[in-house]
Amino acid sequence: MMPGMRAIGLLALASLACARTAPRDASEVVFRHQPLWGDPAPFHAMLDRFRRENPDVRVRDETMPNASDMAREMFLTTLDGGGTELDLFAIDVVWAPEFARAGWLADLSAAFPADRLRDAYLPGAIDAVTLGGRVYAVPWYLDVGLLYYRTDLVPRAPRTYDELSQFARAAMQRDPGLSGFLWQGRQYEGLDCNVFESIWGHGGDLVRGGGIALDTPAARTGLAWLREAIATGLSPRSVLSSAEEETRRAFQDGRAVFLRNWPYVWAEAQNEGSPIRGRIGFAPLPTVTGEPGHGTLGGWQLAVNARSPPMRRRAAERLAAFLTSPDAAVELALRYSRIPARRAVYDDPRVREGAPFIAALLPIAAAARPRPVTPYYALASDSIQGELSAAVAGLRPPADALSRAQAIVDHLQENR
Amino acid sequence: MIERRHAAWMAAPSVAILAGVAIVPVFAAIWLSLHRSIVIFHDQRFVGLANFRFLLSDGRFWSALGTTIHFTVVAVAAEIALGLAVALVLRRGGGLLRAAVILPWAIPTAVSARMWAWLFNADYGLLHRLAPAVDWLGSPATALYAAILVDVWKTTPFVALILLAGLSSIPESVYEAALVDGASAPRTFFGITLPLLKPALLVALLFRSLDAFRVFDAIYVLTEGGPANSTETLSIYAYKTLMRSGDFGYGSTLSVATFACALVIGLSFVRWLGRER
Amino acid sequence: MKRAAILLFFVGPLFWQLLTSLWPEAELTSALPHSLTMANYAGLGVPFARAVANSFLVAAATTVLCLAAGASAAFAIAKLEFRGRSLLLGGALAISMFPPIATVSPLYLGLRAIGLRDTLAGLVLPYAAFALPLTLWLLTSFFREVPDEIFNAALVDGCTPWQVFLRVYLPLSWPALATCAILVFIFCWNELLFALSFISTPERRTVPAAIALFAGEHVEPWGQIAAASVVAIVPLAALTFAFQKRIVAGLTAGAVKG
Repeated sequence: MMPGMRAIGLLALASLACARTAPRDASEVVFRHQPLWGDPAPFHAMLDRFRRENPDVRVRDETMPNASDMAREMFLTTLDGGGTELDLFAIDVVWAPEFARAGWLADLSAAFPADRLRDAYLPGAIDAVTLGGRVYAVPWYLDVGLLYYRTDLVPRAPRTYDELSQFARAAMQRDPGLSGFLWQGRQYEGLDCNVFESIWGHGGDLVRGGGIALDTPAARTGLAWLREAIATGLSPRSVLSSAEEETRRAFQDGRAVFLRNWPYVWAEAQNEGSPIRGRIGFAPLPTVTGEPGHGTLGGWQLAVNARSPPMRRRAAERLAAFLTSPDAAVELALRYSRIPARRAVYDDPRVREGAPFIAALLPIAAAARPRPVTPYYALASDSIQGELSAAVAGLRPPADALSRAQAIVDHLQENR
Repeated sequence: MIERRHAAWMAAPSVAILAGVAIVPVFAAIWLSLHRSIVIFHDQRFVGLANFRFLLSDGRFWSALGTTIHFTVVAVAAEIALGLAVALVLRRGGGLLRAAVILPWAIPTAVSARMWAWLFNADYGLLHRLAPAVDWLGSPATALYAAILVDVWKTTPFVALILLAGLSSIPESVYEAALVDGASAPRTFFGITLPLLKPALLVALLFRSLDAFRVFDAIYVLTEGGPANSTETLSIYAYKTLMRSGDFGYGSTLSVATFACALVIGLSFVRWLGRER
Repeated sequence: MKRAAILLFFVGPLFWQLLTSLWPEAELTSALPHSLTMANYAGLGVPFARAVANSFLVAAATTVLCLAAGASAAFAIAKLEFRGRSLLLGGALAISMFPPIATVSPLYLGLRAIGLRDTLAGLVLPYAAFALPLTLWLLTSFFREVPDEIFNAALVDGCTPWQVFLRVYLPLSWPALATCAILVFIFCWNELLFALSFISTPERRTVPAAIALFAGEHVEPWGQIAAASVVAIVPLAALTFAFQKRIVAGLTAGAVKG
């Protein structure tokens, strides 16, 4: 029957179009990562140096889509399918425990002992990659939440939430067109980061007994503070549909006093042509007590595929060691404005000279905290976002939202 | 006898596809819903009805059910009303107008949702320019209605076509008789057109209700269930639990619950239709 | 007046999308474009062309499979005596009303087990299952309308039912087959949930998935999205205009007779 034949032909064609990539030889290491914004030449030169120093290893460098959730999808597909088409890869900070628990990441504790890493790296970065005392990834570069303020509108950086609110209101009184405090309140991962920072700032902790703990008194006050910021007009309602770029643009246009965001904003806001150039400062996030607050830790780590054959695995470990070396970190800071995970890099003269903003970030980076380091965080995060979003939008009281979020998290975690 | 064997062979491929890819999976989903199952962690064990017990106490499930019902009722009511109006206009001919009206029905929902997302865009969207005070997709108060508008735009043509077919099956002589009796236009409409149109209306209602109840595409593209989960329907919640949280046990529980609700709606309509005929 | 309002509501948004696709990206902030450009179309490039090809492949394969399986079954239901005819037809109708989400988790695990997850071939079977009911209903009602005399005469001539179907009924039924093919094709071209759940490699996405997940580096490239939408709409608009009567007949027959 003709149509049947054609169907079979088409199906064959379709599966042909989907054929997996061809096998490759045993000594080649495939390194997959998101592109570093900017000129790729310095990074390629860095890889070439590794190739010269390690003539026995062949490195193939592949880039992934820029969006983080898309990259995660790709890893899930490849690694869940037992794929070996990549050996070394860069993962987002919250994926490490999940991927490790799924058995996709090689245990790197032998090549990168935990205690040696602890001596050289910032504490948050190491917490994020160790699970049950074993190391599953090596920190490559960081990101951290911090507070930007307008030096021409406020006397100094606020240390407490009360100060922040006071300073903002004083400036808003003088210029009613201003917004007080901008942050990211849309229903997405960035909202979790903002809320967690507020919870830490109110003395809370997010982990209890190895599990995610959201239904705590400090969490209720922390979340309520953000809700109140909107309800009292300290933050405009537009933060409810804002992510990083929306708030950065508003701040950079000179329309706000304070902004919570990531380090990338500094370079943008100090660019030539920026209306607020030379009139901004940065500081740790505020707390109730006035001690410097904790920003959420973000960034990328290098992990090795657990399924790679031993030879490629060892080669991948060597490449990881090279890419995370102090020299490489200096280069990433200078050429790509990447925030170092190694403590010593901040004091390196080349960084202090060439990237003073990064050198000055050390205290903030050192205080950065990871989101709950459990295999279930990445899975639960989507559910948490919905409840936090409902609370900041005023649809339900923070206490209700947190207990609902906790119920879903507990249901997902093993302890039920 | 030979005929029966022939018939069996001729129907077999279809039966195999329908059974294998639609019916067996539904039962498999019920089986999965009795498990704790985090696929990527290879974590699977039988938990009996625990997932269903959790479902009953899960506020997010009840919110999603409420949102789904809200969406279905408002969207279908608007589509029937608007579809009837469009059908009455289309009855007076106009092939080009008819073709233009079906166009929205033929376009992928994902595409039309993206198109509306641009109209709703809070910076430069056309609707936003016309009414700057409304943040259509960003505010929990309006986002669901934005999704309903997209659904109305896309599926009113379908309703209109069904009602048009119903209208054209009403014989002209009925109207001529009414004209002779001197009945007013509204009286003709409510006394003759609507009652005779009832079968077509009920069919449109059945199809649209079941279709609206499983809404996924438009909301996924417009808001992904946000802001503040205010547009999260059952299909979206189940999808997120399965694909984002990787929880195949509870995700299957949610899809089974969605299936059960659709079944209840479908069966009540079928009974209603049966009584009407 | 009424007609103008209807046109404005149903066609206006499409027109705006077409205009946006020709709107230079840098001028999107202004009320109207000062000049028009094809840059957004050029910017779509290979990735979107691949999505179009993927969609076409899946839709075509499903259509062929559906018609091949559906026509013979519909013939059997309409003309042959066997138990379970009405059960098959009723079951098909019920399946067409299933919420597809109810089958996502088992289908995902099943496709994963046989290595068809994240392949286009893996989409064809689920699509066929959800498009078959419509095919069965339309073709069954078509075959029922063909007088039984033809069938009986052919049987007397010594043909088997299968031969009657192939030599007599199939050639007669091409209008109904065409209607079915169009509707099934449109269904596949539009499907999002399965495409989103089973396909994760960007190169294998279908058009709806590609458009749903269309992302730029920082901001959403609305001009390009509009261009992609227009490309996705054009084949359907052409189909709709060319086969308007058929589509209407198929849709209303499926609905009203049900």
